[in-house]
Amino acid sequence: MAEVAYHNICKSYGSVEVMRDLSLSIQDGEFAVLLGASGCGKTTLLRMTAGLENITGGELTIDGKVMNEVHPRDRDIAMVFQNYALYPTMKVFDNIAFSLEVKRLSKEEIKRKVNEAAAVLNLTDYLDRYPRELSGGQRQRVAMGRAMVRDAKVFLFDEPLSNLDAKLRAHMRVEIRQLHERLKATTVYVTHDQIEAMTMADKIVLMKGGRIEQVGTPDDLYDRPATRFAADFIGSPSMNFVEGDITTEDGNPHFVGPHINLPLDTGLKAEQGQKVICGLRPSDLVTTKSGEIKGTVKLVEKTGADVNIHVDLSETANLVATMARDNGAVAGGSIELTIPPRAVHLFDAETENRIETQTTG
Amino acid sequence: MIVESKNRRYARMAAAWFITALFVFPLYYWGTTAFKQAKEIFSVPPTVWSFTPTLRNFEEVFGISFGFLRQQEVLPGGGNFYMAPRLWDSIVVGLFSTALAIAISTFAAYALSRMDFRGRHHFVAWVLSTRMMPPVAVAIPMFFIYKDIGLMDSYTGIILIHALMNLPLAVLLLKSFFDDIPREIDESAIVDGASRWKIFRRIILPMAKGGIAATAVLCFIFSWTEFIFVLTLTQTGLKTVPVVSSSFVTSTGTAWGNMAALGVAAMAPAFLFILLVQKQLVRGLTLGSLKQ
Ligand SMILES: Nc1ncnc2c1ncn2[C@@H]1O[C@H](COP(=O)(O)OP(=O)(O)OP(=O)(O)O)[C@@H](O)[C@H]1O
Ligand SMILES: [Mg+2]
Repeated sequence: MAEVAYHNICKSYGSVEVMRDLSLSIQDGEFAVLLGASGCGKTTLLRMTAGLENITGGELTIDGKVMNEVHPRDRDIAMVFQNYALYPTMKVFDNIAFSLEVKRLSKEEIKRKVNEAAAVLNLTDYLDRYPRELSGGQRQRVAMGRAMVRDAKVFLFDEPLSNLDAKLRAHMRVEIRQLHERLKATTVYVTHDQIEAMTMADKIVLMKGGRIEQVGTPDDLYDRPATRFAADFIGSPSMNFVEGDITTEDGNPHFVGPHINLPLDTGLKAEQGQKVICGLRPSDLVTTKSGEIKGTVKLVEKTGADVNIHVDLSETANLVATMARDNGAVAGGSIELTIPPRAVHLFDAETENRIETQTTG
Repeated sequence: MIVESKNRRYARMAAAWFITALFVFPLYYWGTTAFKQAKEIFSVPPTVWSFTPTLRNFEEVFGISFGFLRQQEVLPGGGNFYMAPRLWDSIVVGLFSTALAIAISTFAAYALSRMDFRGRHHFVAWVLSTRMMPPVAVAIPMFFIYKDIGLMDSYTGIILIHALMNLPLAVLLLKSFFDDIPREIDESAIVDGASRWKIFRRIILPMAKGGIAATAVLCFIFSWTEFIFVLTLTQTGLKTVPVVSSSFVTSTGTAWGNMAALGVAAMAPAFLFILLVQKQLVRGLTLGSLKQ
């Protein structure tokens, strides 16, 4: 069990800087998810944690001990690689047993541990096969099994589910999370899939271009995204953004944009006339007769229980609203929408940082 | 298969057979020469299909009797064409020099593939450059060196020089095989706590078997057919097949039949060696190790 802490981590490949001054602390037993678009430095951070990549600047500590110069095999870390990296010439049993064999455990002990892990991962029937004889999901579980038998202090996962089909992915999400409940080991899990992050994480670390954009619980990131980028990244379909100004009507703040006039929370830390970006989650929008938001329906997209209604507000502004199937909207018709003031997210147009309201901030 | 008309397919197959025949015919002709009597070898018109087969050439070359050769028969040129020990020399030199080259180059190639050091990229060109010199240019200085250090006319000497000549290419070939093994596999094992040596022996080596087999075949064939070094660095102690083949050319004529017999027989061990390692050759390298 261990706490992992990064202090002002920098990373350069030659003259190319890919990470600067990254600081982060992951508590003992926490399931932290590194989330971010491709190329933002997730794998790099994970590899530095494992000791497979040099740290250019800053300090990495595990359990308070500086790890910068410690050899990977002395860090007591288990890692599942983005491409699994199974040993193709070894059977599943030997793949899982390899680290135990290295540790020189007795034959019986190895057998017991491997069988135990195999039982948890539903691999018992496959122990005698080679990796090439397994399906993608089974290979993924072997990779998990290899990490599981380690009893390591820290578990690192690099996008382990990215190559599985949607159904298996949903299933493995639950399995990995359950595994974590059992083992309670500190875990750093990399993904670019926000649903994975939302469903699995104790703590989400949202990254962008080698920096941390926001750290928080899934609810924090969903309810109070710190920046427009964070707001955009999380939620599906993603948040609508409309540019406009803050005005005051009858002493209350309003957001005014193209065919939009929304009353806002009174405690808003915004000034009259400030240029802002208004963020509206598709699922927060509801139909109304009072006409805060007016537009024409361009397309009604079926997703099953719900529909996504694509609405044009003006030539340049449009938004998506998620509603129940029987809402009556038809393509080409006009529609009036509204949203509760508390569900409106506002970002400064220039800095793109969140504008807080006093009650929540 | 891509759809095509019957005529097109027949035309393509006919062309393929024609080209194959073109390449196989010289081999066939050389092979049959080994079984012909001297007078039939140069008969006009040449006998391609119908000749009276004899094992006489093989009897002379390998000193075994199949009943075609009368005892004490005088051989053309009066020389002794008994070559069985020379075949043995070739086998010994081929096997040991291959083993030595593979043993060294496997380690070297793995190190080059995995370890970072300055000038890593120039190293490849540098290694290759050692093969750019014509062998004769090396053979003559080698002659004097070998004389001085007493390696002249010895198995050790020839094994060493053949292994040495094979090293650069073997290292390069094997390096490309190791490069194809994803680094993550090493890294995964490192994180699992394994030492470099353990990783090499338990994981990398089994994965590179196919590549090592292919490289071994090339090394063996080089040694099996090498001429210049054996010619200059041996006298009577040993001689390999390519060099003794020239001794069939005598002052009273060339013993074509015997030469062909030795050639045909010399193909057998090389062929056997390739058969033995072939199983490894075709095996996929990283099958099933990665996501598809
Ligand atoms: N060996 C390297 N040499 C130079 N640049 C590198 C190297 N490895 C990674 N980078 C750069 O570092 C940045 C971060 O890469 P990294 O692999 O950490 O991204 P990632 O977040 O894991 O992306 P993905 O989701 O695609 O796996 C990228 O811009 C990449 O181009
Ligand atoms: Mg990555």
